Amino acid sequence: MAKFLGLDKLAKLVQIVKDNGGVKASLYKLYRFDDLRTGKLVGVDKYGNKYYENPTFFFGRSRWVEYADYYGMDYDGSQIPAEWFGWMHYKTDLPPMEDPSRPKYKWMLDHVENLSGTPEQYVPYSTTPSKIKAWVPPKRT
Amino acid sequence: MANALLNLFLKRSVALPPNKLLIKASAATIHTSQSKSAGKWFPDAEFMKQFNGPVMYPNEAITEWALPPWENRAAPTEKQVKNITLNFGPQHPAAHGVLRLVLELDGELVKRSDPHIGLLHRGTEKLIEYKTYTQALPYFDRLDYVSMMCNEQCYSLAIEKLLGIDIPLRAKYIRTLFAEITRILNHIMGITTHALDIGALTPFFWLFEEREKLMEFYERVSGARMHAAYIRPGGVSLDLPIGLLDDIYDFSRKFNERLDEVEDVLTTNRLWMQRTVDVGIVSAEDALNYGFSGVMLRGSGIKWDLRKSQPYDAYHLVDFDVPIGVKGDCYDRYLCRLEEMRQSLRIIEQCINKMPPGEIKTDDAKLTPPPRAEMKTSMEALIHHFKLFTQGFQVPPGATYTAVEAPKGEFGVYLVSDGSSKPYRCKIKAPGFAHLAALDKIGKNHFLADIVAIIGTLDIVFGEVDR
Amino acid sequence: MTSSIKLFSLGRAGVNLLRPSVFGVSPIFRNYASKGEYIIVTDKEPCMDMKDITDRAATTMFALELARGFGVTLGSLFKEPATINYPFEKGPLSPRFRGEHALRRYPSGEERCIACKLCEAVCPAQAITIEAEPREDGSRRTTRYDIDMTKCIYCGFCQEACPVDAIVEGPNFEFSTETHEELLYNKEKLLLNGDRWESEIAANIHADHLYR
Repeated sequence: MAKFLGLDKLAKLVQIVKDNGGVKASLYKLYRFDDLRTGKLVGVDKYGNKYYENPTFFFGRSRWVEYADYYGMDYDGSQIPAEWFGWMHYKTDLPPMEDPSRPKYKWMLDHVENLSGTPEQYVPYSTTPSKIKAWVPPKRT
Repeated sequence: MANALLNLFLKRSVALPPNKLLIKASAATIHTSQSKSAGKWFPDAEFMKQFNGPVMYPNEAITEWALPPWENRAAPTEKQVKNITLNFGPQHPAAHGVLRLVLELDGELVKRSDPHIGLLHRGTEKLIEYKTYTQALPYFDRLDYVSMMCNEQCYSLAIEKLLGIDIPLRAKYIRTLFAEITRILNHIMGITTHALDIGALTPFFWLFEEREKLMEFYERVSGARMHAAYIRPGGVSLDLPIGLLDDIYDFSRKFNERLDEVEDVLTTNRLWMQRTVDVGIVSAEDALNYGFSGVMLRGSGIKWDLRKSQPYDAYHLVDFDVPIGVKGDCYDRYLCRLEEMRQSLRIIEQCINKMPPGEIKTDDAKLTPPPRAEMKTSMEALIHHFKLFTQGFQVPPGATYTAVEAPKGEFGVYLVSDGSSKPYRCKIKAPGFAHLAALDKIGKNHFLADIVAIIGTLDIVFGEVDR
Repeated sequence: MTSSIKLFSLGRAGVNLLRPSVFGVSPIFRNYASKGEYIIVTDKEPCMDMKDITDRAATTMFALELARGFGVTLGSLFKEPATINYPFEKGPLSPRFRGEHALRRYPSGEERCIACKLCEAVCPAQAITIEAEPREDGSRRTTRYDIDMTKCIYCGFCQEACPVDAIVEGPNFEFSTETHEELLYNKEKLLLNGDRWESEIAANIHADHLYR
């Protein structure tokens, strides 16, 4: 009966709002992510981005990320670190902490988002010493 | 009143010395009046005097003038008239890229259309002469950039013909499979943008959803969504990843329904028929005389398909029908393209079912690079690897014209080899070029809006027309 | 009378009415058993049976084909949209994806590239520039490894050519920049890319190692 009247949809909405932490938090999330959904929290990366999964959505929408709060509205696709990249792009079903085959070398660096347009952006430079040495006029003695 | 008017005129016109200025210390007024009144006459006091009395009454001189006859019909003066020349494109959204058309209009009828091409010319043919055979391959993706793998296939077939080699059966099936996927890709693009230009936006969105899936297949097999560089001389670069054939099969089962939806919206729709039926008719004779190929030829009722008449790769092993039209108008060609997509699904399904396991490229070490595992363990393989990626492989001297039935028509490569590892000459025969050249013939005395429909049905892509 | 009944029993005579008989056999029911021939797909001569004439007249009069089109369009209104909400959701990628370049290291931290210049030789766009010198310990290494990413056509020949898996086209595609200069990658940038993306690059190579 509830299903017939569409009450289950309402209950679902209430559940989604509850899962997202109340009305205010839900509205904020809706504003930030243009979408409000509920799913299983698969993991949190070291930058605070939360990864969710809900297989009731179709392939392509079933996994999503909620960027960490301190990004505010400055979220960007490149803020997902390399470890989670494969899971996010449906290459693997294993989240990185459950994937033993992922290498962890000590020389591996932290992920950096795309810094173009910021003061820390990459500026090309030559990695070789210049081949031409300027002639220095000999000093008169 | 009159004095005030006069004063106003004087103030504006006569360049008064500064001490007589009515507005004191107005540098701007001096500046403007000096520059503007130079060499001009402005009404002065004497001139204004003649208007003091009544001016509208006839005087003696005027009363003697003869009246014109009441039925005044002077012969109209002869005028030089010219048709409007309209520049269409190169940034017109219906121009499918960078087509610039100079249209001569008579009212809204197009009297002459003059395609100006070359805005996307990159000198591909000349560049290929300075690349090894391997390096020249990615250029072919970028010729007709909506049917990428068919171009690669043609180039690879040309090289294989010069080398005189045969490729493994599995490679042939993979090539055929992806050539047909490419055909669907291309026809989705062709039909939906044709519909979009005419005004039906919806099928565009529906079929591009499917196109996205096909691009995903491309990406899974080659690593790039469009510019695959997948089909190589001697086979294909990598084997199909596991699970891909399942997904292609899944797609091929469902795609027919998507096509039915599009047909429901378009095929019998009176608006669509009004815009396409009897528009852009190409007679069978004209189609042959203008060197048409592909759907442009078959839409006019000529039974010609290179997949049937000179089967390459695995086309002789699969069953498929070739749709042909009767009238040769835009509508017939639209139906042909739709049916070709359905036949492509048929070929795809047969390829999936018949594909044998085995090698995906020839085992000729002088032609195809060794697998990486072998390259890292075997000295000989490493030498071959180095040789192939620096110098490339040598092709015996000779010339070949090899053509494939690309989705747009006959895509041919005329390859001349002088025995070195670089082609001596590579002439690319693009189907779109011949089709565009006939636009003047097809579009004559059509409405301007029909030109858009004809460009859509020609299915031209400037990557291959301009090369 | 029979024909008027048919008009109203639109549901049952659906196939005939909805797909007018001018098209002969409807594509769904077309026989795909033929061995391959040339088939005419356009209109045949319209059938002049009373039934078909009334069908056609009804289609024209009541704009049935338009109604059908609108019906299909309306139906897709209730379908779940196929768009994904980037950057929160992302589309599937395969391990073979050819994205931003990276220079890899051995597990010890030693850089892999030995300056054999195969990638430079094979690059069709001539986007790679390499200079090499022996290092202090006598091993041959690059001093310059520049890739002009604006010239690169992402064909993947460099990673195919590399005998030590040093240069790879990584999975990253979110490296768009605001200026041209930022895309002139040098050796440091490529090595940093490799250090940051090694987890994913290694996973990709492992996933695809049977095919390579």
